[in-house]
Amino acid sequence: MPAYIQGRNVNLTFRPPNRGPVRALYGFDIDVNEGEFLSIVGPSGCGKSTFLNVLLGLIRPDSGDLRMHGKPIAGPGTDRAMVFQEFGLLPWRSVQHNIELGLELKGVPTETRHNVSQHFIEMVGLSGFEGHFPHELSGGMKQRVGLARALATDPDVLLMDEPFAALDAQTRDLMQVELLRIWQEARKTVLFVTHQIDEAIYLSDRVMVMTKRPGHAKKIFPIELPRPRDYEMRVTPEFNDLKLEIWHALKDEITI
Amino acid sequence: MTDQTLPNPAVPADDAVTRETFVERYRKPLLGALAVLLFFIAWQAVFLVVPFNALFISKPNLIFSGLAELVVSGELWADLAVSAVPFLYGFTAAVVVGVTIGIVMGWRVRVGYALDPLMTVFYASPLVALAPLLIVFFGVGVSGKAIIIFLLSIFPFIFNAYAGVRAVDRLLINVVRSLGGKEKDLYLKVIVPSVLPYIVAGARIAVGRGLIGVLVGEFFAASEGIGYAIAKFGDLFALDKMFACILSVMIIAVVLTEGIRWAERSAFPWRVGQ
Repeated sequence: MPAYIQGRNVNLTFRPPNRGPVRALYGFDIDVNEGEFLSIVGPSGCGKSTFLNVLLGLIRPDSGDLRMHGKPIAGPGTDRAMVFQEFGLLPWRSVQHNIELGLELKGVPTETRHNVSQHFIEMVGLSGFEGHFPHELSGGMKQRVGLARALATDPDVLLMDEPFAALDAQTRDLMQVELLRIWQEARKTVLFVTHQIDEAIYLSDRVMVMTKRPGHAKKIFPIELPRPRDYEMRVTPEFNDLKLEIWHALKDEITI
Repeated sequence: MTDQTLPNPAVPADDAVTRETFVERYRKPLLGALAVLLFFIAWQAVFLVVPFNALFISKPNLIFSGLAELVVSGELWADLAVSAVPFLYGFTAAVVVGVTIGIVMGWRVRVGYALDPLMTVFYASPLVALAPLLIVFFGVGVSGKAIIIFLLSIFPFIFNAYAGVRAVDRLLINVVRSLGGKEKDLYLKVIVPSVLPYIVAGARIAVGRGLIGVLVGEFFAASEGIGYAIAKFGDLFALDKMFACILSVMIIAVVLTEGIRWAERSAFPWRVGQ
């Protein structure tokens, strides 16, 4: 039986004008189980964000086979939603209307939209900020809106492209705790791209390490730490052993 | 070593912090008004030294009494009302046509490449010199003047809308596409709202050019209107009234421009400080 999300030999080369072609993904294979939290770590430019965009349906691969529920990915669809590193909030829309964007595009009636956005505003802890505009929010709050917007369309898979990279270290720690709480509540399959090994271990069921460009999976680490996880877990020997193992797999791929 | 917990100082309430005074708060408009005032005083004062000849020049006290006369007699309002008609037609058409051309040029790369040089040539060309020809083509009535105003004020809308589309955040386009948005949604949800501030900024420039269009049109062919009044009073050597009319056009230009600026600040708060 094929995996929930299955990629086989996915290849993608960028051909930017006036420059040589860049191979982003080469022989990329992936299997994601339903409901699991899978993190992807890899050196900068290895194609991990590119892969999320391919899975989202914004970029078409040159060759290879990428399926979800056994059906090939043919473009954007409401079964997948992305949380972007730079938030991607529409600056002229309030928190509530940003969250309702996906529902609006689906043609959901106003009243239903309102109920759904209220539900997710509460879930991400933004009650009282419905009418605020993005420029009035902190980075952490902006990403809560980004998360609520992605969840509001009720996707099966949540794609997160370094969602906390633009946040300061403490906000990031708190957002990780929040994300785990929300993930446990919403039960989505999550693909999470990050540079931080800590973050990947703390959140995930499995961590996939990618090679340098052209990127493909190098090693996959199951994370068998018990859930629910808490901050203290990050200083246990088990956690640190995993961190070291993943670092060893990753460091050979990094060039500076 | 043991942990040290430090004591918390008492924090004064927010209203204990001194408020800024009236002058501090309105420093910017006050200084601007002061400069205008000084300009008029200097103009008036020059003629304490230089001999004054009403045939060649006027001075503020005469201009203001001339303005008062025109206001009381109702002449000024009548002329302004006449001039407003072609301005409204020409300017409205410039907004609609200019914004459409600019957005299409920005979003359809090939259209942009094709039209950019042509538009730049038109923008740089002395369209005012074509005014007599346009009056011949389109008549001495409202339409001829509206066309001149349209041609003068359309370019800021084209170029600003064009620049605005090219400055659209690609991330927001991807956001809407990823949530299932179609081409139409990209226009309505992202492109138009992000271009809007650019269009309003363009309107600020276009207003000035449009007002020039009003005057030029009426210089060549009119029997009423504010531009006609300026030319008429000039021919009659009634320089106080001529300057009064010029002054009223300047006031209108300032009011419109500042009005647009105010609208920008209140309608696009996220752009403040950018």
